[in-house]
Amino acid sequence: MKVRLLLIVAILVTALGVSSAAAQDKTVVTIYFPIAVDSPVTEILDEYTAAYEAENPDVDIVFSYEGGYTDVQTKLRTVAEGGGDLPAGAIMLATDIFDVANAGLVQPWDAYVDEDTLSDYFDVWLSNSYYDADGDGTGELYGLPFQRSTVLLYYNATLLAENNMEPPANWQELAEDAQTLTTDTRWGILIPNSWPYWELQPFALGAGQNLVGDSDTEVFFNSDAAVEALQYWVDLYTVYNATPAGVQNNWGDAPGLFASGDAAMIVHSTGSMPGILSAADFEVNVSGIPGKDGGHFTVPGGGNLYLVAGIDDATAQAMADFALWLTSPEQTVDWSIRTGYLPVRQSALELESWTSYAADTPQAAQAVATLDSAGPELSVQSLADVRNALHTHILAVLNGEEEPQAALDAAQAEADEILSIYQ
Amino acid sequence: MTSSASVRTRWQMRRPRIQWLPYVLLLPTLYFVFLFTVYPTFKVLRDSRIYYHPSRPDRQMVTDLKLPGIDEATRSIRGPNNVGLAYFRAMVEPDSPEGETFRQVIGNSALYVVGTVPISMILALLFALLVNRKMRGVGIARLALFYPTVLPMVSAATIWLFFFTPDYGLWNQLFKFFGYGGPQNWVINPKLALWSLIIVAIWKNAGYFMIFYLAGLQGLPEDVYEAAALDGANWFTQLTRITVPLLRRTTLFVSVIAIIGAFQQVEHALVMTYELVSGEADLLLYEIYQQRFIQQDYGFANSLTVVMIAILFALTLANVFLTERQEYAN
Repeated sequence: MKVRLLLIVAILVTALGVSSAAAQDKTVVTIYFPIAVDSPVTEILDEYTAAYEAENPDVDIVFSYEGGYTDVQTKLRTVAEGGGDLPAGAIMLATDIFDVANAGLVQPWDAYVDEDTLSDYFDVWLSNSYYDADGDGTGELYGLPFQRSTVLLYYNATLLAENNMEPPANWQELAEDAQTLTTDTRWGILIPNSWPYWELQPFALGAGQNLVGDSDTEVFFNSDAAVEALQYWVDLYTVYNATPAGVQNNWGDAPGLFASGDAAMIVHSTGSMPGILSAADFEVNVSGIPGKDGGHFTVPGGGNLYLVAGIDDATAQAMADFALWLTSPEQTVDWSIRTGYLPVRQSALELESWTSYAADTPQAAQAVATLDSAGPELSVQSLADVRNALHTHILAVLNGEEEPQAALDAAQAEADEILSIYQ
Repeated sequence: MTSSASVRTRWQMRRPRIQWLPYVLLLPTLYFVFLFTVYPTFKVLRDSRIYYHPSRPDRQMVTDLKLPGIDEATRSIRGPNNVGLAYFRAMVEPDSPEGETFRQVIGNSALYVVGTVPISMILALLFALLVNRKMRGVGIARLALFYPTVLPMVSAATIWLFFFTPDYGLWNQLFKFFGYGGPQNWVINPKLALWSLIIVAIWKNAGYFMIFYLAGLQGLPEDVYEAAALDGANWFTQLTRITVPLLRRTTLFVSVIAIIGAFQQVEHALVMTYELVSGEADLLLYEIYQQRFIQQDYGFANSLTVVMIAILFALTLANVFLTERQEYAN
């Protein structure tokens, strides 16, 4: 009895020793990951990890789920400042690039990504990826596109067909359609107010001028286009009565209201598509945001992969290999199908897996088609302060306290004040 | 017996021995108090003099910075620069951005205290009077009134988020019943966000303060009430002339912990309000979080923390003096 027990203990101890020795040989790649969409992300990533480790037995991929995007950045900062174990990578917002690069939390990918691969990523996803942090005149690649979305107009195609309507092609049609589709129990259109800069951008683009340009220290909050866009939002409830007045639309409520038929159209992220498609019992279709005089416009959003600074070369190399695998055409198609994010690689659209999915789900193909008319997302130095200035005044307009022109002039002045230290 | 006892006491008085054991037992507590309270307090006092914006590039400053006192040699928009008391000076200046933020936040916090403390205390007293009676179902009533206190603030805020939902949210339905026009979105509207926090706090705190009042009520002497009843005092007179004055110490204690609590509550703000309403509806502690983790203005966050520590310290001292003094007076 005793001998057997000893034997078992001995075997266990040896096994433990062997397994820990095996673990020591592996390169551990830890990635901080935010949960930002309503899909079983952890299950999907467990599958990916298993698949990748089967091909690369000397690497150990560990996803560390930290909460939202803000929590990921806070955790990374805390670990970097407090001297904890640094992760190899992190998923953070594409627009966080200046904050995290300036803080020395992340390093460029340039050394790990070759030119050919890089040119396969959609240009629009790379529009918030470069930053000349070292001031040598050329931007370095800090954000590798991974979970990317755009702003879309979702519309109830069944309802439009019943009313003999074509999908709206410009502002006037959009407003008039929304007005027609508004009933006692249904709003014509919902444009959420909880993250307003992102929804305002495609409207401003559609009137001829984005809120942000190529410079990381310049914004265009009070351009004629932006003022017209904000005035259009106000008109939607004051003139057309097609949307709730003032500050009412919640980001989180809109998809549910659309899927239940309580809203005929919503302006929302591609990330909400799987949820909406599975919940809606009518035909859903999407497009970019109609422009003032035609055309469709959108801006990108979502998160990029960042390479953490201060890790050893072997870990950085392993992280880069995994990042390229994760954003490879095959993987990006699978990720898109299962989460609603859009593919990040152009060659992915030619894969059979994508073409068959796009045939079943034309909405996804439609969402990809909007990428041609996208401008960069609002991202500048001191982003939180600049964005606050804009948001405060947008909400003041929606609350009826300020007029669009005066409000955006004030937002522009405040933003210029904040950005003046960088000039 | 007397002789031996007196001999022992005299022997003890001749050789007073230091009692080491209590100090040894206190050591772990003292260690943690030092680690988590004393050391951070002094660290934040020291760091409130440092201008540091790690999320800015390391560039020399060309424009004049709003904060005075920065050494010419290290004029970097990133820092760290030693600015002395510049943040505190900026906070009391009328037109600096720090001053505007500070006044806004202190105003919000004051409104929050005035909005939550008196109402939740009056409700607490009424609840306590209600459940202090001998009647059937009093256990259920106590449970129902105390339940919000047991619930974590995060869960409470999540439940209330649903109440505040525009249009079909219960709160808006209730207002509609009374003829209120627009189904407003309370939590993302800068004008209403603070009020939604106040409503949640009242709902959450009233049951907690009720416990103190209940304890106070049960400690009141019976005979005064019998005497008052013989003199023909009705229940209202008894309440205003006997119960409330006799509960003065409870009221004092509850009001102090209520004000301290009002400065410490932040979870509902984190759950309910969005980054959006920043500034317009921020309470002091939430603003500190914003400045430290979102805007990344370390020095301002530290300076605000110093102000908050000062406020809490003053309140604690007031609590000690007011309640302890009475203790001796009685």
